[in-house]
Amino acid sequence: MIVLAARPAVVYSSTKVRSAVRNTPQKTLESWKQIAAYLERSERTVRRWETTEKLPVHRREHEKQDTVFAYRHEIDAWSRLRVKCPIELSLDDGVVLPANPHADNTYLTEHDAITRIVHRYIAGCRAGEGEVMRPAFHPSATMSGFCQGVEYSGSIEHVFDWINQNGPAPDINPRFARIEIVETIAVVHLEVQRWSGKLVGAQARASDVFTLLKCDGEWKITHKLFHWHDR
Amino acid sequence: MPNTQQYLTEYDGISKTIQMYIDGSKQGKSELMRPAFHADASFFGYAGGQLAVGPAFLFDWIDKNGPAPKIEPRIVSVDILDSIAMVRLEVGGWSGKLAGSDVRMSDLFTLLKTPSGWRIIQKAFHWHA
Repeated sequence: MIVLAARPAVVYSSTKVRSAVRNTPQKTLESWKQIAAYLERSERTVRRWETTEKLPVHRREHEKQDTVFAYRHEIDAWSRLRVKCPIELSLDDGVVLPANPHADNTYLTEHDAITRIVHRYIAGCRAGEGEVMRPAFHPSATMSGFCQGVEYSGSIEHVFDWINQNGPAPDINPRFARIEIVETIAVVHLEVQRWSGKLVGAQARASDVFTLLKCDGEWKITHKLFHWHDR
Repeated sequence: MPNTQQYLTEYDGISKTIQMYIDGSKQGKSELMRPAFHADASFFGYAGGQLAVGPAFLFDWIDKNGPAPKIEPRIVSVDILDSIAMVRLEVGGWSGKLAGSDVRMSDLFTLLKTPSGWRIIQKAFHWHA
């Protein structure tokens, strides 16, 4: 068994370094193709985002045809805002999870509260930002599981650290496979396909089982159990 | 799971581990359930409005509660995902010095498959008041 040492200081510094590099203001993306590549989505999707989600795209007027360009720092700022609204996150191209104001019974209320918490985790995975998912977890949460046959267990800080190092994984495709609620405790089985990033590589699949506890009226993840599937 | 036989083998391994927890609960002896838990296991839940945390609390509680001979445990669900698993256990008829009498408890266990067998990595419980 491997227990990694907690390194929260590295978590914060690596986040800052990466943000500083990405936010260099003079960097521009000069076409739909470049904007799409930067966001790791299709041209069709980013064009749609301009109209439906106010993706900041600028135009230069020419005689024949206008050309588009975008500032990276504006795109980054847009991405950060976007992941802060987990309920409105695109789960997949063209599929948007609707906010449900009509949860009119206890089960639905709890179910929605739990999926919102797990969506914070998903948003953090997508953005490659441990801090985005931190509010979803109990301060003494732990993690354990297997990656390439090696067992890991320890503080949840390792997950935040890993997420920061992995960077954005914009194409992940999460599915709730099971949500089981027993009054103050719950488990969620989340299947995540199309994982990518600096540490993951491409097209990886992970199964996660989260245990949650409702403390002081708020659901928090107390444990993340994971299994990375062999490719 | 690749095939039925493999599934049954893993299912039996998991049930065996959960049975250690049940045996320890029934006899009020934490030493019977300790081997079922992973060295890094955690434990969370509310008991009478108080948040109980850590396996040490659980083991201490089991020993102090003493025998609970009439518990009725039922495995409600077992989900196996390769090296990890979750189990929901419902236990009725809890009794003992700390439990009182005829109490119901729900447990959500998550387990990890280690070289020495399935081990409980977390037990979350809800004590039905």
